[in-house]
Formats: sequence, structure tokens, C-alpha cells
Amino acid sequence: MKIEILGSGCAKCKKTKEIVEQAVAELGIDAEVVKVEDMNAALDYGVMITPAVVVDGDVKVAGKVPTLDKVKEWLS
Amino acid sequence: MISKNRGYTIAEDIKMTEGVKCSCEAAIIGLYACAGGSNVGQMANKVAVELTKHGKGKIMCTVGVGGQVPGIIKSTEGTDEIIAIDGCPLLCAKKSLELSGFTVDKSIVISELGMKKGGNLDLEESDVIEMMSKVETALGN
Repeated sequence: MKIEILGSGCAKCKKTKEIVEQAVAELGIDAEVVKVEDMNAALDYGVMITPAVVVDGDVKVAGKVPTLDKVKEWLS
Repeated sequence: MISKNRGYTIAEDIKMTEGVKCSCEAAIIGLYACAGGSNVGQMANKVAVELTKHGKGKIMCTVGVGGQVPGIIKSTEGTDEIIAIDGCPLLCAKKSLELSGFTVDKSIVISELGMKKGGNLDLEESDVIEMMSKVETALGN
């Protein structure tokens, strides 16, 4: 599983990455978490507001920091 | 190129990297223009561009809402305020948003601000400047 965190490196983006990594650890799944700061890559997904989380090419959220429970739901 | 007239300034080109906005900044105001096939539709798009360049909101992809493109739907969910900018009373942008379940906070209709609908797609700079003043007044900016 590949999880991309789209963002500029701002506070919300860092928080989003922390939550995603926590969810991966708690679920014990094998996932690659990648931080993507290239905003053209975000546009390629149609993402116009960051932070955003993309799981295996599927945009799950944009412009918000997701909750831990919500991320676990996506990854389960 | 920068032009100024009647108190409104046409902004310089926007950088590509500004095509994505970080929600850590101020509230995200999503601007959804119809960009339709008429002079007022093209003016709606130009208004959204100018508002974005002046930091009054963020132009979004309205057609992507109608097309249910996931990244664009999720980005719309991430906005704090939604402004629909339609060229005429057909309200295609507003209706597209509402059909996708979004609540439009403000609706601007270019033809109701004094521009008569027609088929000419080329915009005069003086008309853009005049329309921007009217739109900014309508939005309370």
C-alpha cells in the first residue's frame, strides 16, 4: 500500500503525516508513507488545497487534517 | 502586465505553485466560475482568476465538481466558504455544486451586474476592470 501526504511542509501537513504513520503503526500494516511537496503532483490528482492524503492513487481528504480513526478506516 | 483604472488593478501573472493553496493560511474561499461559452461565462472565469490573484479566494475546477473527480470533490469539502460565479441566470456553476451536495455561501451572476449576455468570447480590459469593481462590492470586499 502506498500512502502519499501532499503538502508544502506546513504545520497541518506535518500533523497529517504523524497521524497517518500512527495509524499504520497501530494497524500493523505494510505501507509506504511518502511526503510529496511537489504541488504539481497535487494538481495531477485534482487536489487544490493541502494537506491531502492519497491512498493507492485514491484521494481521501484535502484541506483538512484527518482524525486517526478516519485514517484507520481508510487503511482497513 | 499591470493595468489600473477606476480603482481596480489587473494582477500580474500568478505562479504555477500557487495553483495549490495550503489550508494553514487564512480561511479557504473556493471560487467556482461557470466559464461558459458566452461573454458573461468568460467574464465569470476572468473574475475568478482576478480574485485569486488578489488573494480574495482560490479558483477551483467547477467542471470537476460536475464530473465528480475525487480530488476536486475532496478539495471542495476542504473549503471554508464556497462562492459560485455564474455568467447568467442559468446558474450552471451554482447548480453543479448543489447537485454534488455542497451549500453555496454566495452567488454572483455576471449578467445581473450589468453585462448583457452575448456570443463574443473576447473580453475588453476596461470591461473586466469595471466588472471587478462591481463584484468586489457585491462580495463586500
